[in-house]
Amino acid sequence: MPSDFDTSDCYTIPGKLALPYTYFAGRVGSRFITTLRDRHKIMGVRCDHCDMVLVPPRQTCERCLRDLSDQWCEVGTRGEVVNYTVVRYPDRHQPRPVPFVLAMIRLEGADTPIVHLLEEIAPEQVVIGMAVEAVFAVKTTATIRDIDHFKPCDS
Amino acid sequence: MTTYFGVNVVDVIESLPARFREEAAADISGSFGYDLEDAGRWRLTIGGGGLTLTPADVLDDCQAVLITDPQTFVGIQLGKIDAAEAMGLQKLSVTGDRRAFGSIAGLFQKYVPPGQETLSEVELVVLKQTISVGQNFATGPVMGRFLKGLKERKILAIRCPVCGRRQSPPREICAVCRVRNTEWVEVGPKGEMRMLEYVYYASPDPLTGDTRETPYGAIGVLLDGCQDEEVFWHLLNPAQLDQVQMGSVINGRVRKGSRLRPVWAQKRTGSIDDIQYFELDT
Repeated sequence: MPSDFDTSDCYTIPGKLALPYTYFAGRVGSRFITTLRDRHKIMGVRCDHCDMVLVPPRQTCERCLRDLSDQWCEVGTRGEVVNYTVVRYPDRHQPRPVPFVLAMIRLEGADTPIVHLLEEIAPEQVVIGMAVEAVFAVKTTATIRDIDHFKPCDS
Repeated sequence: MTTYFGVNVVDVIESLPARFREEAAADISGSFGYDLEDAGRWRLTIGGGGLTLTPADVLDDCQAVLITDPQTFVGIQLGKIDAAEAMGLQKLSVTGDRRAFGSIAGLFQKYVPPGQETLSEVELVVLKQTISVGQNFATGPVMGRFLKGLKERKILAIRCPVCGRRQSPPREICAVCRVRNTEWVEVGPKGEMRMLEYVYYASPDPLTGDTRETPYGAIGVLLDGCQDEEVFWHLLNPAQLDQVQMGSVINGRVRKGSRLRPVWAQKRTGSIDDIQYFELDT
């Protein structure tokens, strides 16, 4: 670029890239969400062949590929933190102001963890293995956010 | 009691009257037999929008008789086995009026095992969302000059010093000759329609995030002063989609296209939207 580069015609135009999309939870995902929303129960699916309870539920067992779409079972609303991270990067798409804790929580009766917000505790006090319980949202959104967050509880 | 798929076959068949959809059966009448091997035999009589179900030893007087094993029957009733497939595998057969039996298939609601009623109605969760990402388009010196021209109701093209072609919107480099474009010329603003695309599936406008109403016409206008392929892409007045004619030159045969003129926006900001669209110049 020449050093006498003329920038008098250079300017910026503000724009907005909007991407409309439709998310379909699927049949199994829909029942998971509606049960959560209407009955405050967390449902999983059980694979008898692998002797595993999968939460969130899915149509197909990830190990043996059997159809699990009607092998429903209820799991607890309490569980155990199996791992966690502290989110410190602020972004308007984040669900909370930073810092907040995202934890992998294995619910009672489940063999796989779900990821959710862990609140009512300082991030530096979170430990793996602690007992937590679900706090359901007052206002429903028909999403996984119908669980508002998890909070520590007595084990 | 023998169960299949966790369901008692007698429960399935004896719930037929409860699952009967009267409103769908107004035009159907006849008697139909179910022969489920060692699970038993039943006769179903439909008429006048009503239905009766009775155990029966002899089904010879039925219009049609479905013969299958109880497992296949329960599987079909639960939606786990496809009836046509079972027939192909010779696990299921119909004697008598096969079509009549087909007509009663839709008369019954799906069997729901006791205790699972609350889970039976599957509401499907669909979320419609729009991800919105703010962005700034940096014009650079060449596109900036072109857009400033639009603000003053001028359409500027840039000319290649080697091949002489005019590009609008302009590019800094002529991609054919690989030299820097230098000379600015004003073209149009009127021109001839050379290309028309009906767009039925609109992608979002990157400047506003809005999705245009469809169908709309994306056009290539050969602005006055330009030649051959030097068309300018913009939109056509949507009300005139059917009134325009496309011009072409094919093997020296000239076909004149509609004359078009730009409609300028009242408030011009130095953006491609400073031209609202082109319309017929009549």
